[in-house]
Amino acid sequence: MAGENEKGKETPKAGAAGPRKLGRREVLTGLSTVPALGLFGYAWNRQRQYQQAKAEAAAAPAEAPKDLQVINVALLGAGAQGQVLTDAMLRIPGLRFRAVCDIWAEYNQKRVVNSLAKFKHEVRGYENYREMLDKEKDLDAVVIATPDFWHAQHAIDCLKAGKHVYCEKEMSNTLEGARSMVAAARETGKLLQIGHQRRSNPRYLHCYEKLLREAKLLGRIVTVSGQWNRALAPDLGAPARYAIPDARLTQYGFKDMHQFRNWRWFKGKGGGPIVDLGSHQIDIYSWFLGANPTGVMASGGLLYLDPATHEWYDTVMAVYDFETPMGKVKASYQTQTHNGSQGYFENFMGDQGTLLLSESEVYGARLYRDPNAPAWDTWVQKGYVSAPKIQEMKEKTEGVTDVRESVSPDEHKVSIVLRDPYHQPHLQNFFNAVRGKAKLNCPPEVAYESAVAVLKVNEAIEAGSRLSFKPEDFRI
Amino acid sequence: MSTDGHEHADGPRGPADGGLEIEGRGELCGAQRFSHEAMATVFEVHAVHPDERYAAQAAQAAFDLVDRLEGELSRFRPNSDIARVNCLTAGGSTRVGPSAMECLVIARHMFDLTGGAFDVAIGTGLPSLELDPDDCFVRATTDWVRIDLGGIGKGYAVDLMAELLEEWGIEKALVHGGFSSVLALEAPAGLDGWPLTLSDPGSPSRVFAHLSVRQMALGASGLRKGDHIVDPRTGEPARGRRAAWVAIPRPDTARLEARSEGRPRVAAAAVADALTTAFMLMSLEEIEALCAQTPGLQAWALPEPEHDRQEQATLLHIGGSGPGYTSTSW
Amino acid sequence: MEDGKLSRVPMIAITVLRVAIGWHFLYEGIAKLTSPAWSAAGYLKQARGPFAALFKGLAGNPDLLANADLITMWGLTLVGTLLILGLFTRLASLGGIGFILLFYLCNPPFVGYFYSIPTEGSYLIVNKNLVELCALIVILVTGSGRFAGIDRIVHGLIRRR
Repeated sequence: MAGENEKGKETPKAGAAGPRKLGRREVLTGLSTVPALGLFGYAWNRQRQYQQAKAEAAAAPAEAPKDLQVINVALLGAGAQGQVLTDAMLRIPGLRFRAVCDIWAEYNQKRVVNSLAKFKHEVRGYENYREMLDKEKDLDAVVIATPDFWHAQHAIDCLKAGKHVYCEKEMSNTLEGARSMVAAARETGKLLQIGHQRRSNPRYLHCYEKLLREAKLLGRIVTVSGQWNRALAPDLGAPARYAIPDARLTQYGFKDMHQFRNWRWFKGKGGGPIVDLGSHQIDIYSWFLGANPTGVMASGGLLYLDPATHEWYDTVMAVYDFETPMGKVKASYQTQTHNGSQGYFENFMGDQGTLLLSESEVYGARLYRDPNAPAWDTWVQKGYVSAPKIQEMKEKTEGVTDVRESVSPDEHKVSIVLRDPYHQPHLQNFFNAVRGKAKLNCPPEVAYESAVAVLKVNEAIEAGSRLSFKPEDFRI
Repeated sequence: MSTDGHEHADGPRGPADGGLEIEGRGELCGAQRFSHEAMATVFEVHAVHPDERYAAQAAQAAFDLVDRLEGELSRFRPNSDIARVNCLTAGGSTRVGPSAMECLVIARHMFDLTGGAFDVAIGTGLPSLELDPDDCFVRATTDWVRIDLGGIGKGYAVDLMAELLEEWGIEKALVHGGFSSVLALEAPAGLDGWPLTLSDPGSPSRVFAHLSVRQMALGASGLRKGDHIVDPRTGEPARGRRAAWVAIPRPDTARLEARSEGRPRVAAAAVADALTTAFMLMSLEEIEALCAQTPGLQAWALPEPEHDRQEQATLLHIGGSGPGYTSTSW
Repeated sequence: MEDGKLSRVPMIAITVLRVAIGWHFLYEGIAKLTSPAWSAAGYLKQARGPFAALFKGLAGNPDLLANADLITMWGLTLVGTLLILGLFTRLASLGGIGFILLFYLCNPPFVGYFYSIPTEGSYLIVNKNLVELCALIVILVTGSGRFAGIDRIVHGLIRRR
């Protein structure tokens, strides 16, 4: 050891002999491992930040604010979808139901009026919506869940009566109808939101804003596939004792009870499964790709169901072309109603990764990173996606591994969980916009673009050839 | 060393095979049979109606109802009412739908009635949940309550399905969920009641009793050999009985004509479902006391044979005969 | 320097080993302290081997169990900190050896024992716990704290008197 003259921390006692001084070198060597504690603290802190980011991503939504301006709402169309929307609206604070309108007075109308009464909403029931618009003085907004062929008429009349409107998808069963809705919204200056509820779904918003726009996790998206396969079910019927008299059915455009219950399958009323189911997902295609399609070809038919009671196609396969800023994209879509295999989802495939997305929890949102793509650690640290799931090691087979098979990509999940009924966020967005606190996630111009893309498919099936879109087709 | 110190239970509890069935699998009754998978079991509607297509549509409407209920009541669906209740922390509250509220109110009533043997919170503190049925709000006063409506959800669904079938004018029907919850409406023509059998869950060919039922709700619960149920009163696994069955007559007020808005629903099958689960754990004295104070309530219990010997177990029958019930053999 | 002491390079290596083991203990301790409601019950209930009854009995007694949990959580943290700092190294090493011995005896990796909590499989006696135990014995007998640790300062202070 060096330096008798080194200054130590302690001054040597007088008279000490032999023992070494506590020199600086001693102290430094002694403290040499202390920085390890500092390093530990830093590493621990980073770990905590990551865990917090993960927890925040999955956190429950904040409590509703007090002093909410109460909105008076009427429901126009109390069928299956109307009841779903009502269920969701009952969980949204600050709404007061005033009226329910449905031509099925004996059954659906009565049922919804009674169930709203259970929640202390004293509502009046109407069969005729014009009567409702005349008589209800304190009405701010109308939620429309009537058959597609009524959407335009109902929405326009409600807008012109000074009400804000939330209208179920598809916007209309005809382009003229959809166009007139956009025009009415512009003229009256009232809000019109079309019910593509995934546009407000927190999981979809997260995938679009954070994973695609910000992190660009998929790289360049080149192909998309999607489907909605639904299992076989009998036609919708109705309890015999509550049948609607023929005169009333005819008055509202229905041939008979069967058509009243199964309007989706009839030309001039609905568009069949491609419109019922496909409109949701094809809307997602345009949204996520940031472009409208340039063309579509489609094949479809009534392969299984009875042509005597169904007019539209029960099986449709369509392929869209898109031109996005990153390049060309082909997107396929399939729907059928006799087999529910694999349910419904959208699958975006890029050169750096894949995004498998669905409103349903069966899939949630899963991302697969291409093994050649850069690691996603920054995004995992920020809580955007989960840490990759450890893939099981494949069993060692005899002989050489097949070099044609690619390595299993890592699977990452998105931990956003929707705790509310599926339509609640979109309805909430609408009502917040009514209060002036938010912008509509699906205003009529956006929904119109979707309608153009979706309604073209049935046309393309008829035509038997590829149909093109021009950019002007999407603009009004 | 590893940081994972989680406890692991002795093994998963399998689905209860209750040993309750329609005699001859229903083919003898001339009824049409419709099946649908939901709530991790198979629901069936056996209906007698001249118009086959109409009956199929009615059954489908009933199955759509079950699917809707599963979406609201299942704790496995992240956006169900119950999943939201399970996420509540102390002081938090959430609005639930009328079905979830009804189930919770019935569950709370059954919890009190069975002294905690039936507990949808499985010991995590059901009384700590405040239920506000008028406003359909549920308020949590602790962080740890976890609800699982598995012991009552199927019964409740069966009750609602039966009501729907009556609305459609299908009166001769039997509805069940995995045969652990059964509701018999009117019997097929020419029969006094739907023919059901109670048999040993372990060996279905050993039939203990034949029943002929109408306007009756039944519940069945059974354990596979070696399985355990957790007794919510103690938190420990308990041997329980091998099987328990409950029958409750469906009150007149539940039928379509007598039903009126504003009156609380009489959910006989939900109650039977709950009692069956409780009777697997309650002592014979407790079961007898409950049957004595509830006219019409009947129970059957199949005790575990002593010392695992292949002894013939004897079926115990508790409670008097009510209307619509005839027992023909043991 | 006394005879028989190791020269510099081996001592540096052993210091690195000491810090690494200390880090591991510190992490385990703090992770248990900060996770909600950690308990050793999971491991104790799965005890196998000659002392199984003892460990299971410990799990069954709530008071003892609560104390055991506290001792484990804080003990690991303390041992880890002391080892990193090189303070009271011998005591810390003995403490560490004690803990690992208990963990090892509670869930020994003998053939024929299957656990449901994650372990490294059946290693036929020698698992990572045992290796760490042996490493701590090395730390114990080589006085690494006095070489490069606060013990060196303390030792220097004491020796001076």
